[in-house]
Amino acid sequence: MSEIAAKAPTKAPTRPRRRLIASRLVPYLLLQALIVIATVLGLRLLQPSDPDDFALSGFSLREDGVTTPVTLPHFTASRYSLADPPLYTGTFTFRRGDAASGWSVYLPRFSNAVEVAVDGVVVLDSRRDANANRPDRNTPQIAAVPASLLREGTNEITVRLFVWGPLKGFLDTVYVGPDAALRPAYETRTLLFVTLPVVFSAWQSILAVILAIMWLMRRHEPVYGVLAAAMVLGVVQAFAPPPVPPAATSRLAAVLLASAPTESALIVVFGVLFFGWRWPRYATLLFLPGIVVFVVGLIGGPPLPRILFLVLGIPTVGICLVLMACITATAVVRRQDAASFTIGCAVTIVLVCWIQDMLNVLEIVSNDRIFVSRLSYSAMLVAIGAGLTWRFARALNQVDSFAGQLVTRVREAEERLKASFAREEERARAAALANERTRLMRDLHDGLGGQLVSIVALSERGHEGATITDAARAALKDLRLVIDSMDDIGGDLMLALGSWRERASAQLRPHDITLDWRVATPQGLPLHPELRPWHVIQIVRILDEAVTNAVKHAEARHIAVTIDTLDGDQGPYGVISVTDDGHGFAVSDNGEAARTGQTARGLRNMRNRAARCGAMLDLSSDTSGTRVRLQLPQCFPDSDMAAG
Amino acid sequence: MTEQGETGDTITILLVEDDAPTCWRLQDALVKAGYEVRSAGTLSEARAALAGGAPRVLLTDLRLPDGHGVELIREMRQRFPDTEIMVISALGDEESVISAITVGATGYLLKDAFPTDIATTVRDLVAGHSPISASIARFIVRRTQGTAQNSAEPPPGPALNTARLTPREIDILWGIAKGFSYAEIASHLGLSKQTVPGHIKNIYRKLEVHTRSEAVFEAVQQGLIKL
Repeated sequence: MSEIAAKAPTKAPTRPRRRLIASRLVPYLLLQALIVIATVLGLRLLQPSDPDDFALSGFSLREDGVTTPVTLPHFTASRYSLADPPLYTGTFTFRRGDAASGWSVYLPRFSNAVEVAVDGVVVLDSRRDANANRPDRNTPQIAAVPASLLREGTNEITVRLFVWGPLKGFLDTVYVGPDAALRPAYETRTLLFVTLPVVFSAWQSILAVILAIMWLMRRHEPVYGVLAAAMVLGVVQAFAPPPVPPAATSRLAAVLLASAPTESALIVVFGVLFFGWRWPRYATLLFLPGIVVFVVGLIGGPPLPRILFLVLGIPTVGICLVLMACITATAVVRRQDAASFTIGCAVTIVLVCWIQDMLNVLEIVSNDRIFVSRLSYSAMLVAIGAGLTWRFARALNQVDSFAGQLVTRVREAEERLKASFAREEERARAAALANERTRLMRDLHDGLGGQLVSIVALSERGHEGATITDAARAALKDLRLVIDSMDDIGGDLMLALGSWRERASAQLRPHDITLDWRVATPQGLPLHPELRPWHVIQIVRILDEAVTNAVKHAEARHIAVTIDTLDGDQGPYGVISVTDDGHGFAVSDNGEAARTGQTARGLRNMRNRAARCGAMLDLSSDTSGTRVRLQLPQCFPDSDMAAG
Repeated sequence: MTEQGETGDTITILLVEDDAPTCWRLQDALVKAGYEVRSAGTLSEARAALAGGAPRVLLTDLRLPDGHGVELIREMRQRFPDTEIMVISALGDEESVISAITVGATGYLLKDAFPTDIATTVRDLVAGHSPISASIARFIVRRTQGTAQNSAEPPPGPALNTARLTPREIDILWGIAKGFSYAEIASHLGLSKQTVPGHIKNIYRKLEVHTRSEAVFEAVQQGLIKL
């Protein structure tokens, strides 16, 4: 019961998954089958045609001392025949009347090298063109036959076939005829089997450089480096000059020519990395054949690399192609994207070409020994490289557009921030304005309001004009104080005190009281950037109160204002003292004046005001005078301390 | 006690003030001090009074029923350059005093000043001393800072050309703004006490806008003329 319960959930998801794999794999495989058919048909159709009118097929072959009649195309019996090369001898008929132009000998395919003689005179030796002798290329050769050489009637042609492996020697049909008739066929083959590979290789080398630079700049993406390495190997293999025996060649060049297994293993690595998988460690064994060819070739020297290449290299290439086909098929099932489809199809084409070449080598299918896998592989590499570059460019575009979006977003955010900042500033300004208005109303109410009411009351009672005058003057003074305090004094309390001095002097002059003004330092008081108008009003009102007390209640004759700056623990602070020479008043134990109710109220007011702006008020009074000492804070408080 | 001018004649004052009680009060104080006072309640009355000859001193309010005192000050400055001009202000606020200074006034008088102070102020003016308050001095020096710092926003209040003031004059203004007496300022700056009033007079003269176009510009700036 429990087993069933445990198994049921694991089985359930596998079935739809299998169905999914099948539904994806089957169409892909069908597509590959179609591609196989198309490739086979294409190879048949694209077989270069030769001018059959001038074909020479019947030859007598002298090989290993035995002479036999043969029909071209013909495979030799041995793989090495440098000392005593097979000699093909044939005849052709030349009629001078037909020869509007010169005649030529055209050999569409041979391996490894040929020496052609007409009537005993050598007209062509392909060993001079090293690339013409590569068995993996299908290089044709053409040679003009000097007109003086040709005899009217029957002429003899001999072909010596040099073979140095790794395959058996091969000689395709030989054509002798007017150059104008043979050359187009030769040109077609040259284009297909000489020019096109060169073009592909050149392209490959450019892509190798581009991919190498990409990898150098982006070390965390080894896929570019792997592909670049594969392409470099391919290019070296294509352009390295092959050795023509018996000429000695460097061992390095020899093993580089046999680098195809390493190259194909690299392509498998590329496939694995490209589809985002991790490279399994045991898969490095895939490089083993390539390394063996390399090491043994380096130690043993030619012709070992060629033999090992035939035995180890070519099967490795096949294994790699099959692996690639599997990898791409898996990728197609998993990813269903264009890249895996494209690479999968390309791999199928190359695989078909490789199989075709194998059948060719094993002489199961005769295809005039035209090898196509190298060509198709180069084409595939070029396609992959181009695709990767395209993908890279697209990624760059995405980055660009992302950067563009980012810039736009940042700009938008900035604008939003600016707007909100402006809004916030506006709100703060409005709040400050409202606060200031409230404060102004309160100050006007506190001072001017009361004084005006007092004036009204005095007028109604028909009091003495002098009292009304005093009240009105007090009101005006207060109005000036409020207006003055609104001014921006930049934290310099001295500027406010300067105005106050003028007002106080004017107030004292009719009473014949002199105001001594002593400022200890030219600067006066320390600067207070945090000083606000309401601080100024409180301080000036304290000083006003002190002067008023001295005039009204103490009957002083001299009033001295001393302004000093003292150094405290945390910086300088200001002290303002108002001293008079009046008769003073008693100060009770609790600091309150015990004289008249009005004075008491005045003193309480002074203390309150001092407390509100963080200042300390000291009051001492005796019969010789009164001293009010106002010690300013080092830093004025932000908010009203008494209110809080 | 009779105030005498340099020529020995009685000093004549033209008082232009539309508020009758204020006018009486000032007139009483000045007459008691021995000045010869003619009074006018409007601009046109003032102009009519000028037809009889130039007074030694012109005291004028700024807000008048038929115009602005600034117009009268400017006319006066052009027609009678020797006349001392003083503006009567209720509160001594910068707005009114500075606008009067820029057209040629060299002092101001508070409406509620004590009678003795009124007489003293006029006497000082005739003697060549221009009164200047701490708040006016503060306004002017702040303006010099505003232009020196090239601040983006012009400081509030009437426009004022402070470019011609010398550093010494600015120092004197600072002293006045901070409540120092002339003697204290003189000792701080190493001057003789007697030269300070002369400096202040110079400051007033320099703040006056002389050319007609400048005057028009100033008037437009202050909203006295609408273009």
